[in-house]
Amino acid sequence: MEDKKPIIELKDVTFTYASTETPALKNINLTIYEGEYVALMGLNGAGKTTLQLTLNGVIPNMMMGDFEGTVVVSGMDTEEYPVREMAKVIGLVFDNPEFQLSQMSVAEEIALGLENLGTPPAEMHRIIAESLEIVGLAGFEDRSPFGLSGGQQQRLSIASALAMKPRIVVMDEPTSNVDPIGKEEIFAVAAQLNRERGMTVIMAEHEVEVMAAYADRIIVLHKGEIILNGSPHEVFSQVDTLKNIGLRVPQATELAYRLNQQGLAAYAGQYPATTEEAVQDLTEKFGKGG
Amino acid sequence: MPEEKIVCQNLGHVYPRGKIVALENINLTICSQEIIGIIGQNGSGKTTLVKHFNGLLKPTSGKVIVEGNDTAKKKVQELAAHVGYVFQNPNHQLFAKTVEHELEFGPTNLGLSKEEVQERREKAIEFFGLQDLRLSHPYRISFPLRKLVSMAAVYTMRPAVFILDEPTTGQDNITTRTVYRLIERLREEGSTVICVAHDMILLAEVVDRMIVMRNSHLIADASPREVFADTELMHSTHITPPQITSIGLRWPGFGQKKVLLSVDEAVTALTPSNPPVNS
Amino acid sequence: MQGVAIPISMVAGDSYIHRLNPLPKLFIALGVLILSFATRNPLILGIVFALGLLFVTMAGIWKSYLRVVGILFPISLTLVVMQSIAPAFPKPWTPITDFGPFTIYQEGIYSGVSMLARIFSMTTFALVMIMTTHPSDLFTALQKIGMPYVLNFILTMTLQLIPILQNEFAIVLSAQKSRGMKGSGFGAVLPSMVPVFVGAIERVQQLSISLESRAFGSTGVKTSFRNVTMAFKDYFILIFGVLASLGVTAWVLLDKSLDWSRTMVFPPALAIIIVALAAIGFVVFFVLALSYVLRA
Repeated sequence: MEDKKPIIELKDVTFTYASTETPALKNINLTIYEGEYVALMGLNGAGKTTLQLTLNGVIPNMMMGDFEGTVVVSGMDTEEYPVREMAKVIGLVFDNPEFQLSQMSVAEEIALGLENLGTPPAEMHRIIAESLEIVGLAGFEDRSPFGLSGGQQQRLSIASALAMKPRIVVMDEPTSNVDPIGKEEIFAVAAQLNRERGMTVIMAEHEVEVMAAYADRIIVLHKGEIILNGSPHEVFSQVDTLKNIGLRVPQATELAYRLNQQGLAAYAGQYPATTEEAVQDLTEKFGKGG
Repeated sequence: MPEEKIVCQNLGHVYPRGKIVALENINLTICSQEIIGIIGQNGSGKTTLVKHFNGLLKPTSGKVIVEGNDTAKKKVQELAAHVGYVFQNPNHQLFAKTVEHELEFGPTNLGLSKEEVQERREKAIEFFGLQDLRLSHPYRISFPLRKLVSMAAVYTMRPAVFILDEPTTGQDNITTRTVYRLIERLREEGSTVICVAHDMILLAEVVDRMIVMRNSHLIADASPREVFADTELMHSTHITPPQITSIGLRWPGFGQKKVLLSVDEAVTALTPSNPPVNS
Repeated sequence: MQGVAIPISMVAGDSYIHRLNPLPKLFIALGVLILSFATRNPLILGIVFALGLLFVTMAGIWKSYLRVVGILFPISLTLVVMQSIAPAFPKPWTPITDFGPFTIYQEGIYSGVSMLARIFSMTTFALVMIMTTHPSDLFTALQKIGMPYVLNFILTMTLQLIPILQNEFAIVLSAQKSRGMKGSGFGAVLPSMVPVFVGAIERVQQLSISLESRAFGSTGVKTSFRNVTMAFKDYFILIFGVLASLGVTAWVLLDKSLDWSRTMVFPPALAIIIVALAAIGFVVFFVLALSYVLRA
């Protein structure tokens, strides 16, 4: 990461929602670099959504509560810019696809933000076509957003964010309300944005196996604090810590951990996390079997 | 001898608007104490199928018999005592001011005496571990607990069959494990549990029979081990088996065509003292 | 299952009327509305109604039009019945004949018939406008003549929300019926309404965050995606239509001889036939509607 530029910096961020006593985020210090794919993990209520909402200034600008510290995204201090200005550098996609849609056609849904920025109509058509192309919805312009499948709706939300030309996309459990095809589609779009377009992707997700395969970095939140922060290998190898707070590790990691525990195979603190790594590792340790 | 709880005979359903065929010629028998997983994409017919089990939809051809009752001749409200349906989103179900009231709603609708309603409520509170929440407002508690309340609210109706629509979606590992345990306990109490779900671990480790739907047809009805072993079938449904299953299928060391359902099975298979498990 | 869908929405098409700018259609419909309230003359209202039917034919929307009229007409028949026996008209009333325990009045029949004509002349024009205009085009056109952007958005979203809430309501109703709730009665109100309202509030909260995150509410110049222009024919039709409807309005207000309330005489037999048919028509509709609702 040495050659990469920081794009998001959180310094001593603490946030307590109005009408609650315990802070939802406690003393968060975090730097995210341009082009990273970051997975946020943690139990429900660990602070994942709250952390994501601080990144484009919804917290503290739209939510009541007690905010301390600074969040700087692409050089902009979120306390000094309204959320709609932040939209040009950072796009958010939420867990319920339907709750993000309001317009009569797919094209108008994407146009909504562009109209607000004063984009000329000719350019608008070009951007809409381009955004739909990226998420694989080309040709859907005149369809009603509410007639789409969950996966398609979620990709439309991504396209609506992309129309603003952000450098960062933040997704909050984007696959929790969609079927398996929809999941595949969303993970594929996120990976493509990151790998092919160099966008920074920050995703909150429970599916550890998928995140082990896609993410460059995993951040584990627990009770509002960052307790682990590193590569999937580094983080998932902390099996005991993760289990103590009730999180699951990929089954590939779990297998190696158990084999190590029972003395069936020896690991030096690092376990495999993906299917490929597990297959290679088993071959090294046990041969081809048979 | 297992009792037959739900029987579908040549069940078909055509939606009146647009004459869309949603189910075609489904034959199925579901018995007591089974834990069944129904999978399929949106629009495959899986939701249409389970809505026939409690009479929310009536067959347009064929028959559905629930504990001896032909659903075509019964109202949903009458079938509610036989089949409980827990919707995916608990917010569609909860309305009362307190969890206690929420739990009393179902049995009161069944016309039970006040004493019996309270007794069932207490049993549900104990079964689902809701002691600290009895007087809480259902909308003010966290999503996973709200889901448990919505399950408990159906539990108080003592149905023989539970339909759980995506019981673990959007939940973390701790609450997911709680739901698995509850499903198993429901079976121990004699109930049948039908999960419409895509949670692979639930399907691999909890469910003992899988029904696969595609394009309005039932295309497979077999154990998870058999379904996961059929890579072509799995691929056609876009469903990825659990990671441990993929590892087992790709590394030959577990034995020929070894289908693993859990990490436990993998560890056992690699323990030298254990003879290899048949696939 | 999905509730009764609202049949009033745009009917896709490419007729001359479909291609008109929304503004002339809107203003003519408003002009007809004013005219319909200005007169009770059945002949004038009848001509307006016939003109409306001509536009329905031009737009090719008969099927959707009849679906709305099929509900509206029987309900309007009650007006004829009620008016005949209790006219909303300054006394003295002229009795024509007895109808069971009631007396039918000359002014009542006149008032009932003219109200029917009034309702149909204005709703026909309104339906032609609604069924040939994409709501987004209408809102964009209104925005061009000064309607605030936010109001445009609220109108669009409200239109979207209606079918969504209907759908939500259907889901909630299924969920509660699955818990043994009786489908009707006071006991069904809270269990079926609370989840829909709470869901709507949650939806709006989430939507506002999502919209703000997509630059909604930016200050400065706004553009619009939809391209709605006024061509020469649109200006012509707008001016002609508005002048015509207001001109006729002025005429009916000034020329007192057009008030036929005393001169248009209904013989007793005709009066009884009108009232009886209206009553039967409504009862048949009511029974059909009731059986449909009970079956659902």
